[in-house]
Amino acid sequence: MSKAHVRNGEGLSGYFFVLPAVIFMVAFIGYPIIYNFVMSFQKVDIMTLKSATREFIGLANFREIFSAPELAISIGNTVMYTAGCLVIQFVIGFLLAVFFNLGFGFQEKLRGLMTVAWMIPSTVVALLFKFMLSPSSGIINYLLVATGVVKEPIGWLISQKTALWGVIFANSWIGIPFNMILLSTGLTSIPGELYESASIDGASSIRKFTSITVPLLKPAIYSVLVLGFIYTFKVFDLIYVMTNGGPVHATEVLSTYAYKLSFVMYRFSEGAAAANVLFVCLFVVGLGYLKLIREGEEIQS
Amino acid sequence: MKKILAILSGLLLVSFLVSAEPTEVKLWHYFSGPDAPWFEKVVSDFNASQTKVKVTSQMVPREELLKQYTIGLVGGNLPDIGMVDNPEHASFSAMGLFLDISDRMKGWEGDGKFFKGPWKSCVYQGKVYGIPHNSNCLALYYNTDMLKAAGVTPPTTWDELTAACKKLTKPGVYGLAICGIGNEEGTFQFLPWILSSGATVEKMDSPESIKSLTYLTDLIKKGYMSSEVINWTQADAEKQFATGRAAMMVNGPWNLSAVKTDAPSMNWNLTKIPKDKVYASVLGGENFGIIYNSKHANEAWEFLKYMSLPNVMESFAMAAGKFPPRSDVMNNSKYWKSDPLLKVFAEQMEFAMPRGPHPKWPEISSAIFTAYQESFTMTKSPTQALKDAQKKIDKALVK
Repeated sequence: MSKAHVRNGEGLSGYFFVLPAVIFMVAFIGYPIIYNFVMSFQKVDIMTLKSATREFIGLANFREIFSAPELAISIGNTVMYTAGCLVIQFVIGFLLAVFFNLGFGFQEKLRGLMTVAWMIPSTVVALLFKFMLSPSSGIINYLLVATGVVKEPIGWLISQKTALWGVIFANSWIGIPFNMILLSTGLTSIPGELYESASIDGASSIRKFTSITVPLLKPAIYSVLVLGFIYTFKVFDLIYVMTNGGPVHATEVLSTYAYKLSFVMYRFSEGAAAANVLFVCLFVVGLGYLKLIREGEEIQS
Repeated sequence: MKKILAILSGLLLVSFLVSAEPTEVKLWHYFSGPDAPWFEKVVSDFNASQTKVKVTSQMVPREELLKQYTIGLVGGNLPDIGMVDNPEHASFSAMGLFLDISDRMKGWEGDGKFFKGPWKSCVYQGKVYGIPHNSNCLALYYNTDMLKAAGVTPPTTWDELTAACKKLTKPGVYGLAICGIGNEEGTFQFLPWILSSGATVEKMDSPESIKSLTYLTDLIKKGYMSSEVINWTQADAEKQFATGRAAMMVNGPWNLSAVKTDAPSMNWNLTKIPKDKVYASVLGGENFGIIYNSKHANEAWEFLKYMSLPNVMESFAMAAGKFPPRSDVMNNSKYWKSDPLLKVFAEQMEFAMPRGPHPKWPEISSAIFTAYQESFTMTKSPTQALKDAQKKIDKALVK
């Protein structure tokens, strides 16, 4: 048997081993995406949902949703929400990671305790924050008024100006421990000798941070930002429970808007089109992430 | 030979036993409040009343249920019998979810005995797609002690309501609570105000509609009604009333028992929703239909008939705080006329307007609730909000 032959055989059995995963992906991930994609070019509404043949209407669904002001509002809110959450949870998460890396007595336990926020189902978090942010009975307003920060309780989720910040606040609370854990793992993987030798060379702690910590933490930072982006950009349950996209679209994001088109107004194909807009955004970011990882691996090797 | 005979007769016996098993009929509903155990009782009484059909009921929350119907239509799991909120029935009839039962209706004793409003919600393009199961409407609840202390009588007009709110509102207490949430539930609560000024759903930008929305918006502006109403469900409004944070509220008969349980020592009463030109209320309620591809349509029909028997319908409605949609049941029963609280709802039922029926009602409703939310949050003026709503309604109707 020649060498090439052996390699071929190995290749084939390799494909055989990944087959179950491929079948799973095609059936449970690929099929809905393709179905949704096709539907966004068809006319599917109350009258045609059940009919066997659906009329293809080209880009009419996209034209329809792009002409309504709600889509632009949803995209704007989604971007604002994602940016707000990412900045807040990354900065605080990073600071906490550095803090817990200082090596005082019981940091392991404290760090473990903080991840509780990340493990609570987001619908539960949504309800908790909905209560806490209420102007009549919420603890946040109670504290703000008691400490004299504000005179009147603020209707966080009722006012169009503050509602988006209310949901950003709640989501950041979930996201901070997630950022912290990933970044702490990255921090502990940096060898201590590097800092020691830098100290011997007389580097300041700021210099150590910018020249050792940040560059060596880059892969962890990339993954935390990209995973955080995907997780935040496709938010649904948190906003659905806290505000249902309201008041008057103030917290409407792409996912809640697509949901409403499909399941509140029964404009199914327009809902599919809106979901595709969301999908394209995430797909582009996902590709960018893969490229970054590959570049990172090339640099390392 | 004997052996074969024995085996054959054995098989026969087994098949006989198997066929004697009752046919299982799956039913989906969304009763989740105090009405839930009473509906379960109807199901278990039906199962006990005969041996051929066994109904198994499953509770699915309202929004989830409607979503499951649409998903089920495209290729999924559907029950044999489904419950639907009456303003949504026409949409699902148009989608083809329900079986046409027009032929079964003929010759059934219940045919022609339903009130017009609930009945019409089951009819789409002249065909019958379901049976009304229960009805309800809205009225004004008021805290008798608070009204007495403030020296006001129960308001009957909008002007009286404003005056009463002015006297009743104080720190920690709002004059009135309604549900102004952005969904069908909120539309349901908003429509009595629209209809009372003489406006119609067909013309949401009429001066009468604008007057109605301006009136409610002013209640919020003046501080008589919480701006939080835009996030309140009817259950939330009930909590505000029962805890004494609102002196009055608009709510339905299904919350009578909730107020009694939450505030056993509170003194309260009911009256008609204050009017501008005419008294108005909106018809709510649920219907049941047989799902289009059910393999057990005959058995499902047996349950629908049982559920609509005068005594079954009456005892469920009495226990669950609802009204029977059958006129003969309503008229022959003394219960709704003698109970001082239910009497008020019974009077409101007489002019309760059905929503729709129209297959595009969900879109119309969506335009309406967006409009009052825009006005309540001061995002748009009542006039602008309703003008924009009318544009959306016109567009939905031509599509």
